[in-house]
Amino acid sequence: MKKRAFVLAAILVGTMLATAACGSKSEGKFAGQTLHIYNWGEYVGEHTLSDFEARTGAHVMMDEFESNEQMYIKVANGDAYDILVPSDYMIERLLLEDRLQPLDKSKLTCFEGMEPGVIGLPYDPDNTYCAPYFWGSVGIVYDKTKVDIKDLEEQGFGIFLNEKYKGDIYLYDSERDSFMMALKYLGYSMNTDDPDELNEAYEFLLQCVNTMQPEIVTDEIIDNMAQGRKALGLIYSGDATYVMAENEDMGYFCPETGTNLWSDCMVIPKNAENVELAHEFINFISEYDPAYDKSEYVGYTSPIAKVNEDLSGEGGEFEGIDAFIPRTGNPNDEVFNYNEETRKVIAELWSKVKIAASNAG
Amino acid sequence: MHAVAQLIHRNKGDTLLKRFSQLAVPYIVWSVIMLLLPMVLVVFYAFTDTGNAILTFQFTLRHFVRFFTDPDFLLVLWRSLKIAFKTTVICVILGYPVAYFIANSSDRMRNMLVLAITLPTWINMLVRTYAWIGLLSKGGLFSTLLGYIGFKDVEILYTETAVLLGMVYNFLPFMILQINTSLSKMDHSLLEAAADLGANGVHSFLKVTLPLSLPGVISGISLVFLPAVSSFFIPKLLGGGQYFLIGNVIENQFITVGEWNFGSAISVIMAVIMMLSMYLVRTLELRNSGGVREA
Repeated sequence: MKKRAFVLAAILVGTMLATAACGSKSEGKFAGQTLHIYNWGEYVGEHTLSDFEARTGAHVMMDEFESNEQMYIKVANGDAYDILVPSDYMIERLLLEDRLQPLDKSKLTCFEGMEPGVIGLPYDPDNTYCAPYFWGSVGIVYDKTKVDIKDLEEQGFGIFLNEKYKGDIYLYDSERDSFMMALKYLGYSMNTDDPDELNEAYEFLLQCVNTMQPEIVTDEIIDNMAQGRKALGLIYSGDATYVMAENEDMGYFCPETGTNLWSDCMVIPKNAENVELAHEFINFISEYDPAYDKSEYVGYTSPIAKVNEDLSGEGGEFEGIDAFIPRTGNPNDEVFNYNEETRKVIAELWSKVKIAASNAG
Repeated sequence: MHAVAQLIHRNKGDTLLKRFSQLAVPYIVWSVIMLLLPMVLVVFYAFTDTGNAILTFQFTLRHFVRFFTDPDFLLVLWRSLKIAFKTTVICVILGYPVAYFIANSSDRMRNMLVLAITLPTWINMLVRTYAWIGLLSKGGLFSTLLGYIGFKDVEILYTETAVLLGMVYNFLPFMILQINTSLSKMDHSLLEAAADLGANGVHSFLKVTLPLSLPGVISGISLVFLPAVSSFFIPKLLGGGQYFLIGNVIENQFITVGEWNFGSAISVIMAVIMMLSMYLVRTLELRNSGGVREA
């Protein structure tokens, strides 16, 4: 009986606290309104949402997705969000299908001080629809004590076929990135739709899973490489930044034959319910302090030049970590284009590679 | 007069019954929308293809032909069945003694033990499976313990053993609870009768307890085998992306490849396989209980 009374009291106190907390928030221009964001998992700063709520009085509901495709299915089924954070090629797709509304540039201050490398990209040349959120490259994270840098320099992505490292590599479980790696190694464009070239890339990946015993992982690679479990793996530059900050034996390498330069941007879908608040958030997240917080916490490269300068500069959180600033100027680097037909082909081929991998093991 | 009163009474009862049965309407509507309709859709997708501009879909058996002519898919299916079978066998072997122990302990103790078995299932399966990643990875509890007894640098994570372990761990409670229920319901005077007629402990267990608990074992088997054969997140988390079971193939077809028709076809194939295996198990059970009655 006593116990029950205690539980009741706890619930009561809890409710009171919650009401009190709500009460204190109900100031600000957007008090009582709600912002619905659909974002990648672990993709905001420690204080991003609470600071935004404190400033505007609005409430933020954030759902998380693991892949662009997962996000697409939900959005295409009519779920209404005010802000989405898809990647380049997915923005291209959403635009093709007429699912996005143009940003109201008169309300936006976010483009001041942005890195030139992340605005005006081919999928939206004038940034009519999208405001950059994070960007980076794809490369190889490697253990400097186990991997000879000469192997990397000579072979590039071909190191994934080097039996010296058999059983000691990670592949990234994404058809896009895996085919990018294979196509770039073979010297083709990662946006090719030539069946022969795609087939050659497929053979490359098949050979890799049949001879190298790779582990095919997604975000597990981050913690595992930080612990130095394997010699090398394919990774996003932002994740490599985190790995290198945790473990100083780790390095990051982008092959000369080119790689993928990617960007994730904020867009407002046509069925957004609170467009005004969405613009407010886009401006907020692009201010120095929130942008700094988010990049420092997540480890991904900010679109704001000053933030990157300070984070990678002397005394910054990511000083001396080359993965944090994506390289620009290599003519072989490409942005991923959306092509539904090819996407289906490589998705199908990649699932065949994975089935072959599990049948090989 | 009496007959009229009875009639009125019965009428009252009928309307009451009707009123009660109306309470089922929300459930029926719910299950049609949430259970029946999706299944009809899956079957529909499995036998169709997106067509051209004039015909929005066309019927085809292409997806089934494709599945059964590709040795890679069949190999994955075979592996899924094998691991589900192993899981079920281990669950029976581990679960039966535990359930037997629970059923034979005092009432108070039994409630405590059942609670202890059910308690972990209050936590989301996904969370509990994630915890295994930490336990099984290099430097985790298991590899440290194995290190003490001389197996250095053993890593169980991302192997078939890890997947098997995860499945047994997740599905064992279902087996224990099912067997326990049928053992607890058993009439103990039957055992006394067996003893009176001269049966020793082993004999009465084999002739009385075991056959009477078989229904529990059977439903335990269906509760373990079915989810095990189609499970996709346990192999994904503990087996790594290079360990594919049929559930992963289906998930992959829907989420990444976007071939809903082919994914549905594999789902239908799985459903048929499951129904067949359940049918097999049940006929086995019937034959078994028939045999006992004859003896």
